[in-house]
Amino acid sequence: MAPVTIQNATKSFGGLTVLHGIDVEIADGEFVVLVGPSGCGKSTLLRLIAGLEDMSGGKIRIGDRDVTDLHPKDRDIALVFQSYALYPHMTVAENMGFSLRMRDVPKAEQDRKVQMAAQILDLSQLLDRYPRQLSGGQRQRVAMGRAIVRDPQVFLFDEPLSNLDAKLRVQMRAEIRELHKKLGATIVYVTHDQIEAMTMADKIVVMRGGHVEQMGTPLDLYDRPANVFVAGFIGSPAMNLLTGSIDAAGTAFVSQKGARIDFPAPVGVGTGRDVVLGLRPEDIAIAESGLDAKVRIVEPTGAELHVILDFHGETLTAVLHGRPDIREGEAIKIALPHQTLHFFDTQSGDRLVATR
Amino acid sequence: MVRWQRGLWLFCLPSFGLLTIVLLWPLAYAIYLSFFDYYLGSDVRTFVGLGNYIDLLSETRLWNSMWTTIVIAFGSVALEFVVGFALALALYGNRIGTKAFSTLLFLPHIITPVVATLFLKWMLASNWGLVDATLLTIGIEPPDWLGNPLWAKISVILADAWIFTPLIMIVLYAALQGLNNSLLEAARIDGASNWRILRHVVIPALIPAIIFTISVRLMDVFRFFDTIYVLTGGGPGTATETVTMYTYQLGFRMLQVGKASALGVITLVIVAVLLLTINRMLTRIYRKGDQ
Repeated sequence: MAPVTIQNATKSFGGLTVLHGIDVEIADGEFVVLVGPSGCGKSTLLRLIAGLEDMSGGKIRIGDRDVTDLHPKDRDIALVFQSYALYPHMTVAENMGFSLRMRDVPKAEQDRKVQMAAQILDLSQLLDRYPRQLSGGQRQRVAMGRAIVRDPQVFLFDEPLSNLDAKLRVQMRAEIRELHKKLGATIVYVTHDQIEAMTMADKIVVMRGGHVEQMGTPLDLYDRPANVFVAGFIGSPAMNLLTGSIDAAGTAFVSQKGARIDFPAPVGVGTGRDVVLGLRPEDIAIAESGLDAKVRIVEPTGAELHVILDFHGETLTAVLHGRPDIREGEAIKIALPHQTLHFFDTQSGDRLVATR
Repeated sequence: MVRWQRGLWLFCLPSFGLLTIVLLWPLAYAIYLSFFDYYLGSDVRTFVGLGNYIDLLSETRLWNSMWTTIVIAFGSVALEFVVGFALALALYGNRIGTKAFSTLLFLPHIITPVVATLFLKWMLASNWGLVDATLLTIGIEPPDWLGNPLWAKISVILADAWIFTPLIMIVLYAALQGLNNSLLEAARIDGASNWRILRHVVIPALIPAIIFTISVRLMDVFRFFDTIYVLTGGGPGTATETVTMYTYQLGFRMLQVGKASALGVITLVIVAVLLLTINRMLTRIYRKGDQ
């Protein structure tokens, strides 16, 4: 296991630059998730680490080796592909042992390592099967087994769960987490699913348009999103974002559509300035007395209730626990907890830190 | 699923009728004729049972033509396959100019084989042909391409390869396009060299396409006629006389239609057995994986 250092990684395809100088430090044994919307460059960054693409600029170090110009096979990494990329004409055992065979590891040693990995992943019964005879989840495990057998410095995962159904995905999520604990491996994991990122990562790197938007622990990103993009990307349902301004006294927010939220005390992000107000759906509560809102849509999920509210012309999503008796079209009162409001600069989208 | 209805077999009638007229009827008639001593144009048909077969199988000329067929068939298919596959891989690895290259390489295949062979015949003509003239300018004494028994075989093989390599190239190139790229990347990460990626990942993935091209070409080449007819006419002597050339000689030169029919039936049986064997062999390799 080894740390990974990415310095000023740049990648262009022809005239199109898809990565603009990325810096990421990955500690030894850390589980890092690269997350972002399609086309943000997360998969490209992973492929740079794997050596499947040449870098246009910058450096990558694995452990104390500069691997920037090394061939993928010399980087001591293993990659689990989204499509699994199992060799269709080889059995599970042959698939898992292929890399050892290519390195001319003695047959007995190959078998021992394959058996060991199969045991870890509960594949011992399937070693003689062909990939076409396996279910999606089993193929996924074989792909991981192929990586484990290598005993690499770094495991790379490229959207490994996106071909699985929802239930299996939750199960595999836990399995990969557990595997990480068992092996103590350094893992770089790419996904577009922020729930996967939140549940699995030690550290999340949120990317957009070839830039890193924010890097931090899952709760860091949730509690203190660095900008509007991260605020809207992390969390489900997404954070409510209202565009408007702080009044001259600094004690109220008025949205463009005229919705007004009064604060008990000045919030300390300046007075009379334009801001974007961020409000987590799960922070909104029903109250005896509070702000007026009208219920537009109620979506019961079983455990909780997602309610879409009309708040003086603005749309707010709220997540309510318990089973409050609310109907669509009803007028209710809501309370907003002032300590968990987020403020962002309208122009730059950056988080505004209260100065009080 | 369409539920079985009694009237549906009517829809098969037209194609079945056509098959009967162009395929089954001639085949049955040939089998029938093969039991007779019959000269084209004569009124007498004498039933000889298996006489024609026994005659043929005891002839050296038949066995020679069989041997020639096998040499030419395997020689040209092997050459076409190796060169075609190499070209397909080159096209696959080279993303630039692929279209222009593949079109140029495909040209010999677009031309009617007879015309292509005529080109080749002129090119191979002794002394003044393009090939000889070129070789002579750089001081190499060219062989007698079409007059020497060994070189005539080689020329026929080269001619067939020239016309059909593009077909194999295009089919295998198309199959390569369908290859999952992450398989190749996985193999690169697993530490396989280019040669081993080819051997352990690419070729096994292409086996269905390979079975297809080799079978189709072998089938074709066993019926090989036009190119040989134009290029060497089976000569010099009987050096390039394949089974089909011999059948033609028997039927249309010596007018022994009964014997020619018997030879046709023998060819059919041999080709069918050969193809089934090759097919089974390749399929078994495929099933077994790449051990």
